[in-house]
Amino acid sequence: MTSAVTRRGPDAPGTEPPEEQRGTRSGLAWLLDLPAHAVRGVTRSAATTPGRLSLIAAGLVTLSLLTGLVGALSVQDRGNTIDGLIEHREPLAAAAQQVYRSLSDADATAASAFLSTGAEPRQLRERYQFDIAKAGAALAKAASDAGGVPKAAAQVDILSRQLPVYTGLVETARANNRQGFPVGAAYLREASELMRSTILPAAHELYEIDTERLVDEQDDAAGFPWLTALLVFALLGALIATQVYLRRRTNRVFNVGLVVATVAVGVAIVWSAVGMTVQSVLVSSGSSGGTEQVDVVVRARIAALQARADETLTLVARGGGSEYEKEFSALTAQLAGEDGTGGLLAEAADRAQGGPAAEHIDAAREDTAAWLRAHEQVRRLEGAGDYEQAVRLAIDGGNEQSAAHAFARLDENLAAAIDAGRQNFLDDTTNGARALTLLAPGFAVLAVIAALGTTLGIWERLREYR
Amino acid sequence: MRVKKLAVLAAVAALLGAGCGSPGAPVDPAPVSSVRQPMPANATVETTVEGGGSTENGCDPAASLPPKGDIPDGSTMDEIRDRGHLRVGVDQNTFLFGFRNPTTGQLEGFDIDIARSIAEALLGDPDAIRFRAISSAQRIPVLQNGEVDIVVRTFSITCDRLKEINFSTVYYVAGQRVLVHQNSDVESIDDLGGKRVCATKSSTSLKNIAKVDSKPVPVSVDDWSDCLVLLQQGQVEAVSTDDTILAGMAEQDPTTKIVGDRFTDELYGIGIPKEDEDMVRYVNAVLESVRGGPWRQSYDRWLRDRLGAANPPQPQYR
Repeated sequence: MTSAVTRRGPDAPGTEPPEEQRGTRSGLAWLLDLPAHAVRGVTRSAATTPGRLSLIAAGLVTLSLLTGLVGALSVQDRGNTIDGLIEHREPLAAAAQQVYRSLSDADATAASAFLSTGAEPRQLRERYQFDIAKAGAALAKAASDAGGVPKAAAQVDILSRQLPVYTGLVETARANNRQGFPVGAAYLREASELMRSTILPAAHELYEIDTERLVDEQDDAAGFPWLTALLVFALLGALIATQVYLRRRTNRVFNVGLVVATVAVGVAIVWSAVGMTVQSVLVSSGSSGGTEQVDVVVRARIAALQARADETLTLVARGGGSEYEKEFSALTAQLAGEDGTGGLLAEAADRAQGGPAAEHIDAAREDTAAWLRAHEQVRRLEGAGDYEQAVRLAIDGGNEQSAAHAFARLDENLAAAIDAGRQNFLDDTTNGARALTLLAPGFAVLAVIAALGTTLGIWERLREYR
Repeated sequence: MRVKKLAVLAAVAALLGAGCGSPGAPVDPAPVSSVRQPMPANATVETTVEGGGSTENGCDPAASLPPKGDIPDGSTMDEIRDRGHLRVGVDQNTFLFGFRNPTTGQLEGFDIDIARSIAEALLGDPDAIRFRAISSAQRIPVLQNGEVDIVVRTFSITCDRLKEINFSTVYYVAGQRVLVHQNSDVESIDDLGGKRVCATKSSTSLKNIAKVDSKPVPVSVDDWSDCLVLLQQGQVEAVSTDDTILAGMAEQDPTTKIVGDRFTDELYGIGIPKEDEDMVRYVNAVLESVRGGPWRQSYDRWLRDRLGAANPPQPQYR
C-alpha cells in the first residue's frame, strides 16, 4: 500500500505520453501500424492514474451505452413478440384450428344429410355450407403466413387443392341423390374417403405446426434475457469497482456522478426485473391457462366430431360399418376415457379448474355421457333390426334424447370452453405486454444517465490532477 | 390531350424497356404439375385375378336340393322364427336390384323383393327382416361366419362357390355385357384390350374380364356404383358385368350405353350357409311359389322396361 501511495504523488503529472512522430512514415505503413500503436498508446496511458481514469471513464461510458442499447432493443423485441402473439400468431393457430374443425364437421354433416330421407333438411344443408365457408376463410388466413415454413405451406397446398374437389363431389352426390340414384351414395363415400385420407390429415398437421409455432413464441416471450442481464450486472460491477478504486486513490467516500450512475443502473435492474418477471409469469399463464388448455379442448372437440362422423357412417354402411364403430369406440375413449371419466375432457377439466371454462367442460362431460347413452341405444335398435328407428335416434336433432341433440350440446360447450381459453390467453398476454410499458425507453434513459454520471464523476477527479 | 401525351410517353418507355432485353422468364408463382383425381375407397388396378369365373365345368351349378316346405322343430327355420326376424345380406348400391331409395330411406329392388317373399313365407311379415348391407367380397364370409341367414345380392352360382356355401335354385339368369360412354367406339369386351375395365372385388365379372383374350386391365372396387363413379370420372374405359346391373347404371346416366352380346351366363341364386341344407330346401319351396306370381310382379316393376319381357327360369334339382 505505502509504495503505491508514494509513487502516485510526484510522478503522476510528469509522465504524459509523448507525441507520436508519424510525419516521416508513409501513410500505408502508418495505417498498418495503427492497431499496434493504439495498443501501445493505451498501455502507456494506463500506466498513469489520470490516463487510467480516462480509460475507465471511456470503458464505463461505452458499457453503459451498450447496455442501454441492448437492453432497450431486447425489451422492445419482447414487446414486439408479445404483440405478434396477440395480433398474429394466436389468431393464426385459431385459424388452423378452425380449418380442421370446420372440415371435420362438414364430413359429419354430409353423412347425416345422406341418412335423412326425402328433401334434404335445410338445417343440415346450412350447417354444411357454413362449415365450408368457414374452412375456406380460415384457410386463406392460415395460408397468408405459411410462406416461410415449407411444411406448413405443403399442408396449405394440399388443403387448397383438395377442398374444391371435395365440395364438387358432395354436390355431385347431392344431384344424384335428388334424382333417387344410388350412385349419389357412391360419390358421397368417395368424398368422405378424400376428406379422411387426405384433407383431414393435412388440416391436422397444419394445426399442429401452427400450435407449435405459437408455443415456441410464447417461450421466446417468457425467456430469460441473458445478454441484457450479463451486461447490466457487468456494468453495475464495474461502477462499484470504479468507486472502490477511486476511494482508495483519493480517500473520498462518495463521488456524486458515479453514485448517480450506480443508482440509475440499480433502478434499471429492479425495474426490468420486476417488469419482465411479471410479464413472463403472465405470458406463461396465458400459455398454460390459455393456449395449452385450448389445445386440449380442441383435441377433444375434434375427437368428438370424428366420432360423430363415425356414428353416422356406421348407419350409412348399414351393418357393414364395423370399422367405423371400432373407430367410434377408440375416439370416445380418447375423449372421455374407457369408463367415461377420463380422457381429454378430464385433462381439460383439471386445467380449467376454477377458471371460466370449467363450467363448460363440466357440461361437456355430462353431454358426452348422454351422447354415449344415446349411441348405445342406437346400436341396440340397429342390432334388433329396427334400422329406421336407429337412424331417427341418431340424426333427429329435435328429439331431446337423440344422439344428434347430445352431440350438438357437447359441441357448443366445447366451443364455449375454447373461447374462454382464448380469452384467458388474450387477457394474460395483454397484461404481460402492459408490464413492459415504458421499460424500453426508460432503460435507455437510465443508461444515458449512467453514462453522464460516470463522465461527470470521473471528470471531477481528473480535474484534480491538472 | 394530357392522357394522350401520357400514353405516348408510356409507349416510348415500354419500347425502350423492351429494347433492353429480358432479365429472365417470369416465375410461375404456384406450379401445379399434376392433378390427383379422387378415387372411390379401395379402388385398385388388379394385376392377378385368381379363379375361374362363371363358366367353368366340373359340376352343374343350376342343380339345387329338392324343395321341402315344412318347418320341423329344431330346424334352421325354427330358430329364425324364434328370433322373429330374418337376417339377409343385400346390396344397397345397385340400382334396380338392391338399393337404398334416397327419398324414402328404404331398401328396394328385385333382390329385396325376393328376400321379402321369403320373410313373408317364413314369418308372415315381409318386413320382418334385418338387412345387412354387404359388398361383393363379403358375401361368402358373412354366410360362413353365420352373420346372416341368407344372401340375396346378384349372387352368381359357381362350382367354386358351391364348395364353400349352398345355393338355392336359380331365380334369375343374367349375362355379362359392357357399359361404355355414348360416344365410345367400343362394340364388345374384345375391343377393350389394354384398357381399364371396372368390376367389384371377388365378383365373377372381375374374373371373366381377366379371362378375356384381348387382355383388358381389370380395376376392382367395393360396390357397383363405385364403377359408375369411375366411368363418369373418366378413370375407366368401361364397366363390364351382368346386364341387369349395367341396366341400372345406364338408367342413372343417360350418356352411357350397353354394348356387345352376353358373353357369360350368370345364374343368380340365394346364398345359404353350407350346413343349413334344411334352409336350402325351404327356400327352394318358397321360390317355387314365388315363380308363380310375385316374381313377375317384381320383374315388371323393376326390369321389364329395361330388359324386355322374361319368364322365371325353371328350377333344376339334384
